[in-house]
Amino acid sequence: MAPQTIVQTVARTLAEEMVRDERVVVLGQDVGKRGGVFLATDGLFDRFGPDRVIDTPLSEAAVIGAAIGMAVQGLRPVAEIQFADYVFPGFDQLASQAAKLRYRSGGAFTAPMVVRMPAGGGVAGGHHHSQNPESHFVHTPGLQVVYPSTPRDVRGLLRSAIRGDDPVVFMEPKRLYRAVKEELADDDETIPIGLAHLRREGDDVVLVSYGATMAETLRAADALAAQGVSADVIDLRSLLPWDEDLVLERVARVGRVVIISEAPRTLSFASEVAATIAEEVLDLLEAPPVRVTGFDTPYPYAQDRAYLPGPDRILHAVQRVLDY
Amino acid sequence: MIGNLRRFEPFGATPIRVIDERGRWVAPFNCDLDHDALRGIYRDMRRARRVDERLSTLQRRGKLSFVASAAGHEAVQVGAARALEAGRDWVFPYYRDLPLALALGWPLVDAVAQQMASRLDPARGRQMPAHPGSAALRLFTVASPIASHVPPAVGSAIAQKLAGRGDVTLCSFGDGATSEGDWHAALNLAGVQGAPAVFLCQNNGYAISVDFRHQSGSADVAVKGHAYGMPGFKVDGMDPLASYYLTLQAVQHAREGLGPVLIEALVYRYAAHSNADDDSRYRPADEVAAWRRRDPLPRYRRFLEDRGLWDEAAEADLGAELDAEIDEAVRRADEAGHAPLGWMFDDVLSDPPQQLRRQRASLARTHDLERDGH
Repeated sequence: MAPQTIVQTVARTLAEEMVRDERVVVLGQDVGKRGGVFLATDGLFDRFGPDRVIDTPLSEAAVIGAAIGMAVQGLRPVAEIQFADYVFPGFDQLASQAAKLRYRSGGAFTAPMVVRMPAGGGVAGGHHHSQNPESHFVHTPGLQVVYPSTPRDVRGLLRSAIRGDDPVVFMEPKRLYRAVKEELADDDETIPIGLAHLRREGDDVVLVSYGATMAETLRAADALAAQGVSADVIDLRSLLPWDEDLVLERVARVGRVVIISEAPRTLSFASEVAATIAEEVLDLLEAPPVRVTGFDTPYPYAQDRAYLPGPDRILHAVQRVLDY
Repeated sequence: MIGNLRRFEPFGATPIRVIDERGRWVAPFNCDLDHDALRGIYRDMRRARRVDERLSTLQRRGKLSFVASAAGHEAVQVGAARALEAGRDWVFPYYRDLPLALALGWPLVDAVAQQMASRLDPARGRQMPAHPGSAALRLFTVASPIASHVPPAVGSAIAQKLAGRGDVTLCSFGDGATSEGDWHAALNLAGVQGAPAVFLCQNNGYAISVDFRHQSGSADVAVKGHAYGMPGFKVDGMDPLASYYLTLQAVQHAREGLGPVLIEALVYRYAAHSNADDDSRYRPADEVAAWRRRDPLPRYRRFLEDRGLWDEAAEADLGAELDAEIDEAVRRADEAGHAPLGWMFDDVLSDPPQQLRRQRASLARTHDLERDGH
């Protein structure tokens, strides 16, 4: 098979899961004939028809809410929110219904469903096409939250999300939709939600990131290698639950860590990682954990290249922990 | 089939009635319920009222943190329950639907245990009182945020349509719910999809203190069905037989693939919104008194008595039977003790993540997790 982009992998994985399990249905605005505005559901409507690929009215509350009711009835719905920025009208459905259904019913009812949403900046979209709202979801017990950055991880985690028994917020790095290609083996690999991936091994500093900023993080690691600095690179992939064990183990070994996230700084997921490191392995650190994040502004339009944590800002932070 | 059951036309100016306020049959068709069914409707209403009274007493004695009385809402809920097939059709209730849950067959001890957060609560003490739910009855567990259950109800109905077995979903809510965006989004989707959903609005005239004139610019709720391509009906929700026959027609309409139906049942809540509310601030006493005269219990009892189906002795027997049943349910739920602390950590996800296991272990260092949660 030719190398696949992330967005092609989403469409292909959805099709495979729909073949594998007839309970899997896809719903959302434009997912049908249009194949999704990013083509993440391309070809599904022609192949599976309007009963399993459901074009809905333009209402995120209706899309996510209907997915909950369908899941309760035994279907395996995969809802698409066109941009993560537009999830908020459906946020009550996620926070009040989906996330709490298992808990509030004592396990009698569950909502095994996936809500996919392209997220992140760098697409000249301003603050309503660029945000990273993962902290809202991570702060909502009862959800699982994943944010992969490679075709293989997208496939393995989407399979796990669809086959699992919990509501999953599946964030997709839209800046990388067509920027990353990967040859995928013809297998049925699943990647468990909650496991990070050690993308590179190094001895001088640990770089922890997830989602689209993995691209900048890896570029920063390349630049560091050219300077003779070897970096561990961890792709978290899952945010709720997240792989505390791997991060603490690597940080304890190396003693220096920089955490990169393009979400606004305050209460970003990077903050949770930094706090956990400080709480658990402070005496093994050579320098304070440092975050490189977006800023506490609405996502800017004209200035987004500086808002995003690029290699320059990451390298500056690495220098700070190396010099400490 | 629907032809036989199409007794009522949508969008009528006056609420549909089958028996009047003095208990006389006024419908242009004959009553086809047998005597046991007719007495069963009274029994379900009487039982709900008695349970309601006992829950208020328990709340005043400190056994419950909260009550949301359903007194005044019994007729529509009992009538609607009887129009459904319990265990086949799905029901998405709201917090004032205890009479509906009981009439569908929710065991009384489960109901009381839920209110008391007892160890016997099948929902494991997770919610404040007045939040029914039962998987066996396909009774979706209540969530407090108003109208948030309406989009899931439509998803349920779409799944039923796809399954093609003729099952339906009934979704119940109050008049305040009709102002929420989720309500409109859900009814619109139901209309687009032709989903087999019956939307049952129990319009008691007040969302806590805000009266219907300040809730909606429409003359009534039923008319909103026009906007979403579904018939809207207005019924006297204190007439159990009108509520039954109209819901039966709506359920049949949905079963036969003709799409969703909106029902507005006009009711009155005799108590305040909850024990934490003071309704004398917003409702005149003479208004409450006027609605008291339409109380569905004496009204329907007169209907039965006129037909020789009920009398003083039957009333006394039923009262004694209900008191004994409720006493037993309260005793069992109370004696079991409250839900233990450790249950707090269960049922978050299908498999507890390591973070949650560690948090549980950390609490266990200072607390006995088997101890009652209260």
